[in-house]
Amino acid sequence: MIGRMIGRLRRVRWWPDSLRFRLLAGAAVWITLALTIAGFVLSGLFQDRIHQRFQDEMLNHLEQLAASLELNDQGQPALRQPLSDPRFRRPLSGLYWQIGGPGETILSSRSLWDSVLALPADAVEPSALHRHIVSGPAGQTLSVMERSVALPERPDAPFRIAIAADRAEMGRVMDSFNRTLTLSLGVLALALIAAAVIQVQIGLRPLSRLRSGLNAVRAGRQKRFTEAMPSEIMPLVDDLNALLAHAEDSVGRGRLQAGNLAHALKTNLAMLANEARLLDSQNGQDGPGRIGAAMVERVEVMRRHIDHHMARARAAASRGIPGLSAPVADRVAALARVMRKLHADRALDIVADSAADHSFAGEREDLDEMLGNLVDNACAWARRRVAIASRLDDAPGWLILTVDDDGPGLPADRREAVLMPGVRLDESVPGTGLGLTVVHDLARLYGGDLTLEDSPLGGLRARLRLPMARDGE
Amino acid sequence: MRVLIVEDTADLARQLTQRLEADGYAVDCAGDGEEGQFLGETEPYDAVILDLGLPKIDGLSVLRSWRRGGVTVPVLILTARGSWHEKVQGIDAGADDYLAKPFSMEELLARIRALIRRAKGHAAADIACGPVVLDTRSGRVTVAGEPVELTAFEYRVLSYLMHRKGQVVSRSELIEHVYAQDFDRDSNTVEVFVGRLRRKIGADLIKTVRGLGYRLDEA
Repeated sequence: MIGRMIGRLRRVRWWPDSLRFRLLAGAAVWITLALTIAGFVLSGLFQDRIHQRFQDEMLNHLEQLAASLELNDQGQPALRQPLSDPRFRRPLSGLYWQIGGPGETILSSRSLWDSVLALPADAVEPSALHRHIVSGPAGQTLSVMERSVALPERPDAPFRIAIAADRAEMGRVMDSFNRTLTLSLGVLALALIAAAVIQVQIGLRPLSRLRSGLNAVRAGRQKRFTEAMPSEIMPLVDDLNALLAHAEDSVGRGRLQAGNLAHALKTNLAMLANEARLLDSQNGQDGPGRIGAAMVERVEVMRRHIDHHMARARAAASRGIPGLSAPVADRVAALARVMRKLHADRALDIVADSAADHSFAGEREDLDEMLGNLVDNACAWARRRVAIASRLDDAPGWLILTVDDDGPGLPADRREAVLMPGVRLDESVPGTGLGLTVVHDLARLYGGDLTLEDSPLGGLRARLRLPMARDGE
Repeated sequence: MRVLIVEDTADLARQLTQRLEADGYAVDCAGDGEEGQFLGETEPYDAVILDLGLPKIDGLSVLRSWRRGGVTVPVLILTARGSWHEKVQGIDAGADDYLAKPFSMEELLARIRALIRRAKGHAAADIACGPVVLDTRSGRVTVAGEPVELTAFEYRVLSYLMHRKGQVVSRSELIEHVYAQDFDRDSNTVEVFVGRLRRKIGADLIKTVRGLGYRLDEA
């Protein structure tokens, strides 16, 4: 269950099933949507404003034109002074005025050159403002503002005065504004998305720390999460710690109970065996003596079974608990030390060679049990030398541990048989007889294996393949 | 030779005591860690058989406390905790040997003999002094190849002197190592045993060093 949890947390990546992706995709969608709407609104407001100004300007010109209109000495309409905007004098500039009488054109701005504004012939009420859109010179589309002006000298024959302006002018301003607006909003969107990325990164950083914490627990560098986390994640961390503690606790309690049972059984078996031996030694080959010998034998078998099942139970309980790691070099050195003492009479040369970073992904007790049995076996058979070594397997994530001796070795056809329960290499050499089977079973519980080969030292090589504790990514 | 057994299962302690006494050892028993620790610190034993699962103070703590306090007596751990991990812990705590229950009494005796012999600096299993040879594996004594019958106390005295051959052993030291704690000690009986031994193995091997004690010398 813990493994699955870790697996899920590890998938914090850029694909859709990630918090980062969700947060960033959400932010990007909202930022784009909001800025697009803002762009349309701003553009619309600006267009209204530009249009208003265009109208105001035309009205201004129209009023100036009306104010300048007078009758000259010949009774013909004329401008008292030219209109101030220079565009009225530049041919085809896009800004024009025109003064017409009933059914005729009398005066027009120089900018209109020899063209005439084709104004619709509608009736213009005095002072009323008319607006038209007409085609102008050079293919321009013109907005026209027109009104009638009656001069006091000619009150019954009003003049139609009109100001025309090129609508393209307004379009150019709008285009320019829209380009600037789009660019600005685009830059703003990018800045906001970048800010969101930073925010998400900072916001999710505790999850990354949790992930590296989980990796550390899995790799066995620490037993619990010790780092303080934000209040949203802390309950999860507390739960995980509680779960780890519970797993460890359950295993510990189970082991203690099994250990107590084994202790009680074995102490009584010891007494029973001693009584049986006494019986055996006191009563020759017949009767009670034979019973004694049989009891001694059965007691020994019972002891082997207790050891065997204890080791198996322990290993089976530890399997699947994350965070287990046992440094190989440390255990190899400890066992070499112990063997030198336990086999002190033999003055064996026990050599250990293991890199400091080789760690077994499992219980230290199980590594001790496997190596202890193999090295003890090698010591029992060696003439002078025993060599213990560890190296990396060709397949990544696996360790190879070898235990060599210079003893008599074992014929190839018997090697498989000694890994079976209850088979002893030689009844005359003391040993439990179940040692190699225990090693074999334990190795297999961890997914590894034990094989027996010829040793370069001349005797037997036990080759143990075990999973290696990784540091995680 | 004097041996301390620290074992809380009374029946097993009794079996061990009987067998060790039959093999010529003076034996003291402690039923819990506290008593065991005290005896180990105050009495000069030649070997200790120590259980690990003890009441009051556990065996490993007792052992560590002895070693910290400079008690160098060879210790054999006799326990039901037979895993290699526990053996490593036991040896690292200062034990000299480790035997898992259930055990063969013969193996235990052989290991105790080997421990005592090594602790006194003898590499070979046979300790010889002139014509007298003590086979530490079997506990048999021969003089010029002929077996000699010895009583338990005679054996203890000779065995201790043989293990310390060439060195002066005071009378009180000899008493400490041949009598169990609750035994009524009398230094005159030691002289009686030495006298009997001289008759059995030869008069000039055990020398009396006046005012100091005895010394076993080759001729």
